[in-house]
Formats: sequence, structure tokens, C-alpha cells
Amino acid sequence: MAKVVRMVAEILADKCTGCALCVYVCPTVAITLRDRRPGEAGTHRRIAEMFESSCYNAQNCLEVCPEEAIVMHRLDEPFTVGTDVSTADAAEVKALCRKAGIPGRGMVCMCAETTGEELAAAVLNGAHTPEAISLATGARTGCTELCHQPIIALLAAAGHGDLPRNPPRGFQWYGIAARAVDMVGDDGTAPDELLQQYAQFPLASDLRVLQGDFSEFES
Amino acid sequence: MSALQAPATPPALMRTWTGRDPASVVRMRAADLPGMVSLPVRAIDPSLPTPIWASDPALGPTDVSVVRRETIAKLQASDWSRIQPGSTVNLIANPHGFFLCGEAYLVMLEETQRYLVATRQCTVRLRIAESMGHIENPDWMRIYDLRNRFGDAEECPQIGRGVQIDTKVGPFWLTRDLFSADHFVHTHVAEMREGYLHRMIDRLHKPFGMAYTRLETRSAYHFGWGPRTGQLVARAVFDSDYVQQRYAGTIVLDTTPEGVIGVDADLDLDAVNARITRGVLRHYGTLMRLMGEIKDANVVFDGHGCHMYAYGGGIAFDCLMYGQVDFLDLDNLALLKGFASRLPETPGLTMEFNPAIKAQIMNYMAGGVPYTMMTRRLPTYLVEGEAANWLIDDPASPWLGDRAHIMPDLPAAVAAARTATGTDHLIVFDSTPGALNMSESLGRFLLERAPAVAEHVHTHALPKWLAQRGLS
Repeated sequence: MAKVVRMVAEILADKCTGCALCVYVCPTVAITLRDRRPGEAGTHRRIAEMFESSCYNAQNCLEVCPEEAIVMHRLDEPFTVGTDVSTADAAEVKALCRKAGIPGRGMVCMCAETTGEELAAAVLNGAHTPEAISLATGARTGCTELCHQPIIALLAAAGHGDLPRNPPRGFQWYGIAARAVDMVGDDGTAPDELLQQYAQFPLASDLRVLQGDFSEFES
Repeated sequence: MSALQAPATPPALMRTWTGRDPASVVRMRAADLPGMVSLPVRAIDPSLPTPIWASDPALGPTDVSVVRRETIAKLQASDWSRIQPGSTVNLIANPHGFFLCGEAYLVMLEETQRYLVATRQCTVRLRIAESMGHIENPDWMRIYDLRNRFGDAEECPQIGRGVQIDTKVGPFWLTRDLFSADHFVHTHVAEMREGYLHRMIDRLHKPFGMAYTRLETRSAYHFGWGPRTGQLVARAVFDSDYVQQRYAGTIVLDTTPEGVIGVDADLDLDAVNARITRGVLRHYGTLMRLMGEIKDANVVFDGHGCHMYAYGGGIAFDCLMYGQVDFLDLDNLALLKGFASRLPETPGLTMEFNPAIKAQIMNYMAGGVPYTMMTRRLPTYLVEGEAANWLIDDPASPWLGDRAHIMPDLPAAVAAARTATGTDHLIVFDSTPGALNMSESLGRFLLERAPAVAEHVHTHALPKWLAQRGLS
């Protein structure tokens, strides 16, 4: 699927203090800072500037702004963004999803309803940063949370795991948080020490399930 | 059936932090639909303890004096010695506490701040862990005038600056501003939100895997671990050196679907978690399993909270959304279907949206959480007006406007849903505590089923749930 973008953010010049928080959280890097122009409303030297075509209505800026200096407007003409899986090699798409450990046809971004294969196709088409994936697919611009990890993992699997953050001090994303699959050794299970440490959880059983082995439940 | 009562008046809609005023645009509440009744939770489970505080005087005292006294008593009985004189302490709160327990939660926070300042000679700041869904939360900062009442109060969103921590299972990222102090105090309210995720294992630890964390950790919690193991993230974070060096204690409101029944506090989070877990399983279990008895119903959202986080009768909609499976029974894998899309749907093994839900009607609902995958399969009706526009514009539900039927008013939406699904069973999630507003036909059905469900829960399910958690 794709995202229908229905709103766009606007910076209120008289309220903006140029603190840059909005710049640091925008998943599509649609905001930057510039010097305030002569005669422009407001008192601080710097002011945020919005690139409207890159604003996908994520509203992280709205949420984080301490000055209530951002408002959202309905677009007269909503637009749709997405990546067609057929634009990339099908075998490469499947291989990348497998390597990243994400479902190919399953929905990864629940907001834009983007599948793993669509995300992989975007990567193979040249989207090599989280923001580029978001711009290509619309994923990660809704709740901005649920699909976060799979997207970073997908980039890492494609060899783009050590890219610098944009902007450098931004915190749109950090890294890959620990996952169950990272605990699994060659024998398909987790180390005994870990299983004992977290004995209140059926970790061994759940790991089998995550690897597609449902035999204990089917019996 | 005399146990069914006139519809309960839902709490008033509040102004959101974005300045929206739903009360001014919502023309009719679902409780005012013709033919509605309320099913009191106490009629389902008469063994519920009497609240010491409730938001509705019909359910218990609305005065907070008992909560205040109990808070002080529990603070005095708990060990706060980790807090050194002159240190800074973040009192970490969450929006659900304000939403579910209102003034009672506020009083617990106030007394905790007052007590720690007086006895530990420290500085206590209020820090609110904002979650996904902040997009349209009621404006708690202004509604409760938190800066004036606490002096130093800040909201800390999950998209804010993070701090990386090391745990036994690998790295996670927390919300830095929540922990930027010498110590922190963990606060909570007991209830059954997101039970399908935490499965009532380490319930009170859950914020360490979710509410107190950054996007990376939350995403991993949801999709990086198994159906009964996501809570391992919370445990690993809580056990980390970073958290343990700062942790100073826990204070929590114990609740039932009606209101607050007590205050608990302890330095030992495992100990207070065990006490709270026993109570939650006992006090919410029957109502939750009763949700599983519903065979067909149309759902009306008519309050704050987005979709699965909309409340009615003191439980979240997710208790109905996954109500076909007893996910409290750990023998049930209850695997979210997203993990195993090619498997046949086997009750107890895989968990898809409850097929008993036949249609959804949105009269007023907050945005912020993705739910539109349900609109792919279910007839969805939006009541025309500005509240519908807010949902259509919501970043997390971009396809809603293309899939939902826009109806001129609430009665028309309900009628259309009834025609489309063939059922006159209607259940409302409108934030009303202690009772579920619903159509009389559904009320009669549930009242008839309740005794058998209560009997099953108290004699079979509850002992099993407790034993599975080492709480027999």
C-alpha cells in the first residue's frame, strides 16, 4: 500500500525560537534551520523552515515543539506516496527480506500498510537511509514507532547499517534494539544462561515459533 | 432483568493538547441512543471489592481523602533510602494514570512528591512519559494545572532524545529526559490494557519496555520477540545497570473496573507486581472472559483513547478485540497473526481480530495509533463532522477516509451497521467506568452468560492463571 498525505505542517514565525527540536525528529527530514530574515516575525536569530513537498504529515514536529510554533493544515489536494514492488527484482526483494528477518508480504508499517517487500524494493531502488525509505514508501510517517525497528534492520541487512544520522545531532533513529532472533545460535535456540535468567518467559518455545516451528502446539 | 440499568452517563469529552474541543463538535453520545442500557460490572462479578475512590459517585466515594491517607501510609512503610539528601528525583507518571484514575492519581503523585521532599530532602520533578497516541490526548498539563501543582513538570515524548543502555540481551534506547536525574520513582495504575502483549507477566515492569523507552525499543517490544516474551524487553531494561542505579521505588494505584481499591508501594518491584497481579487477574478476569462470549456485535467508539485504547466498563477495547482467546492462559500461544500469516487461524494458537466484531462506528475517537487494517475487513462508519475529519487526517490512519462510510449522524451510522451486519448487538467504548453501555439485546445476552463465566473463572481459569505465574 502507500500513504495518503492529507496535511502539511506550517512553522509560525513569531513563535519559533529556532531550538531545532522539530529538525531532529522529522522522519522525512523536511525541516531545517536558517537565519531569520530582516523584518520577519519573531525574536530569535534562527528559525525553522519547512520543505512542504517532503512533509508527510507525521506530526512529530507538532508533538515535540515546546513553543506551540507548528500548526497543521489540510491540503487542498492530498497526494499518495508508495513504492511498487514490481520496480525491483523479485528474487532480490525476497532475499533481502529473508536476510533482515522481516515478513515479505506481511504488513510492516501498520499506518501506511507497507509490506516488507515494498520496503525492500525501496532499498533496492536506492533508498539507503531511513528518511529515504520514508520518502519513497510513506512508511514510518504515521505513528512513527511500530515499523521503526524492521526498517533499520532492513537497511543493515542491505549493508547500510552504519550510516550517519541526518542531521548529525538528530534523533529520528538511533540503532537496532535487541531482538529475539539475535539470541538464537546455530542450534536454533538461545544460550542456557539466558533461558535461565528469564525463566518466567517461555523464551525457548517462543523462539521455536518465531522460526516457524509450531510442532508443540499442533500436537 | 433488573441488573440492567439505564445507560450510564459517560465522562465529558475533554480538550486535547492540540487545542481541539471534541465536546463542541460531537452532537450526540452513544449512551443517548434509543434502546441503550448499561451492564454494571458488579452485576457480572459481585465479588469486586468496594472502591476507595471512583470518578462516578454511584460506584464509590469521589473524595480523594482515603487515597491520600493510604498513599501517605504506604509511603511511610516503604524504603526510600536509595534517595540521598540533595539529590534530584524524577517522579515518572503516565497519561493512562490521569485518564483512568484522575484526581486519585494526581493525589498519589502529589503526596509522593511532598513526602520525598520532606523525608529525603531531595528535589522531585514530575516527568510524564508520553506514548504513541499523544497526538490527541486530553491536555493533562492544563486540565490538572500540573506545572503549578508540581513546580517542575514536563512531558517527555517517545520521539524525544534517547539514551542507549546495555542489557543482558543487547542494546535498548530509553527516553533520556525521563531518567536525567539522580533517581526516579516508578508510578503506575493497575488495569488490563494491552494484556494480549504483557500477558500479565511482569505487568508493572511493562513501562520499562514501552512507555519509558524510545521508538527503537517499542518497535522491538512489539515485533522483535515472541508472543509470550515481549515482556522480556521490560525485564531486561529494568534489570540493567543504568536503570538500577537510578531506581528508587514504585508506587501504584490498585484498581478494579470500577475505580481505585488501594495504594501499594515498595522498593521491590517484583513484590508489588505479585500483589497487583493477583488482584488484576481476580478483578478483571471475569469481565475479560465475558468479552469472549460475545458472538456478534457492532462497536461504537465514543470517547478518548484511540481504538484499542478506547475504554468502556474499565477495560480497554483490546480486551474485546482479542477476546476470542484467553491470552491470560499461558498454555495458549495466542500468537498475533502478523507473526504467522500463512498459518491457519486456530483459536488459542493464532490470534486475529475477534471475528465477533462485525462493524465499527466512530462517533468520537482519538487518533495516533494504526487501526485501519481492521477497516479493510469490517464495515466502518464515521459520523460526519469535524471529529470525523480529525480521524481522516490522522497520520496513523491515512486510508480511513477511503474506506469508511460517512453517515449524517450517530443513529444513522448505527442503523447502517445493523443493516449491514444483521445484528442489533451494540457495545460502546465511551470511557464509562464500572459499567458497559450497550444495546438491551446484548445486555440480556451477557447477563445470561455471566454466572457461568464467573463460575469458570473463579474455579478453573483464575487458579490456573495464578499457578502459571507462581502466584498460587
